Amino acid sequence: MIPDALIQAWPAFRLSLELATAASGFVVLLGVPLAWLLATRRFPGRRALEAACLLPLALPPTVLGYYLLLLLGSSGPLARATGLQWAFSFPGLVVGAVLFSLPLSLSTFREVFLRLDPDLLDTARTLGARPLARFRRVVLPLAWPGLLSGAVLAFAHTLGEFGVVLMIGGSIPGRTQVASIYLYDLVQALDFGAAGVVAGTLLAVAFVTVFAMRILEERWRSASPSRTR
Amino acid sequence: MEVRLALTHPLSLDVAFAVHGFTVLLGTSGAGKTTLLRAIAGLVPAATGPFAHLRVEDRPVGYLPQHIALFPHLRAWENAAFPLPRSIDRRARALELLDRFAIAALADRFPRELSGGEQQRVGLARALARNPELLLLDEPTSALDVASRDRVFADVIARVRASGVPALAASHDPWLAQQADHVAVLAAGRIAQEGPPGEVFARPRNLAVARLVDFRNLFPGRVVAIAEPWATIDSAAGPLQAPAHDWLTTGQDVMAGIRPEEVIVVRPDRPLGLAVQDNRIAGTLATLHQAGLHVHGGFVAAAAPAFTLELLLPRFVQDRLNLTAGQSLEVTLKRRYLHLMQREPAAPEQR
Repeated sequence: MIPDALIQAWPAFRLSLELATAASGFVVLLGVPLAWLLATRRFPGRRALEAACLLPLALPPTVLGYYLLLLLGSSGPLARATGLQWAFSFPGLVVGAVLFSLPLSLSTFREVFLRLDPDLLDTARTLGARPLARFRRVVLPLAWPGLLSGAVLAFAHTLGEFGVVLMIGGSIPGRTQVASIYLYDLVQALDFGAAGVVAGTLLAVAFVTVFAMRILEERWRSASPSRTR
Repeated sequence: MEVRLALTHPLSLDVAFAVHGFTVLLGTSGAGKTTLLRAIAGLVPAATGPFAHLRVEDRPVGYLPQHIALFPHLRAWENAAFPLPRSIDRRARALELLDRFAIAALADRFPRELSGGEQQRVGLARALARNPELLLLDEPTSALDVASRDRVFADVIARVRASGVPALAASHDPWLAQQADHVAVLAAGRIAQEGPPGEVFARPRNLAVARLVDFRNLFPGRVVAIAEPWATIDSAAGPLQAPAHDWLTTGQDVMAGIRPEEVIVVRPDRPLGLAVQDNRIAGTLATLHQAGLHVHGGFVAAAAPAFTLELLLPRFVQDRLNLTAGQSLEVTLKRRYLHLMQREPAAPEQR
């Protein structure tokens, strides 16, 4: 027997899951190459790029949300250049969630790459493997649990996001009202019974994702023992 | 095969030497041996070198780093098959490669299930998979137990020789250098000497080489007379005879060297043969200690307390002589084994 409160909360949960899935997907697409670049290449501006990527860690979510609102709003540069109005819409939420989760996942990805034994990649090179082949045949098989752990981190972090999502999305039921904001609205309306069901569900989902992350991380660590040199 | 290569970064190297058969590049740690191998493989950028015009991926070299670097997620045969194209039967070819090193039976093991020596053989099979023109081995004896090194690695060298691919092994291990067909000594970014190991070990060209090949007794002297084939030098312990060299002149300052195991203790119970009459030095045995089955002695000449010699005696000599620390002793330096070197360091390579 599913409680009514949960059935009513379903659109908010579904939106949260969709948002977290989309955000972690884009974090991987953006973060993995970026982390590879930061971990393996020395280029001018590397530190500045790194600092810019880590910036959201130090910003109040409302500040990030505010600037995103300016950027993506109806009179912002995105709208003027392309006609797309992403404020108070799902794509806007994804942009905000990606920016907000990138620093954490990027740090994980970078650590994964830094722990790869450079001798393995050098040797693969002398054995004729070009960059893509090295990534596919050496890096990915050794690093995938670590990379997946970084993606799950982005997923969990997005599920728990509140400030940025509220600033950029508002709380439009069915369109931008994610579970965390729905919970806030329930409490504002003094509906503590429904709020308890939603909060408990979020807690359970968060525990499962963090647990999965730990297992992946352990698997990755045992597959890539810390180097002796 | 001739290797000519110059580097300025990350360290200054300018070398030219030959590789034939199993060649050992001998040098102290930090001399740049690893950098030189990596530069030949292309992993350290160098404008010159035998394959400088090729990309790393296209160079016909088989590179085996010191820590072997087997791919931990691949089985032994998959490691050996790593460089093989998909168009052929990769497993059959990999098994054939592993069999060359007598480890085909371990084909399905992962690297973590193999000993250091077995991993090395898989690494060698993998390095030979693309039929390279040159094998590069970085400190190949460092992964092995000293106890089994001689037996195990002598077999590996025989198998590498059988592959017909010339090999260049960087090492600081004099034992390995003695097994080689050819030795090149790297010191101060140059090749200080090269040649067959018998030549390099018996007649090091200068002090840097002498130290690397275990000439632990080195002392200065001045040439006072030359009467081919012998030269006489004046040392702190008195006049000593040694083989003459064509570069020697009377009055020249030289360094003399002798290996600890070639310092002979004069036995008072037995008359000396004529051959060891020369180069006798009287003194005291200042120190004596057991080192495994050998006895290490520290000898101080009576004529000059600064003139010391290290002695290395097999146990049967000690069993007969019953030496004790502090006793008086006479030693002779067999003139055939006393080796004279130029005083200035790092004489340029003569080619």
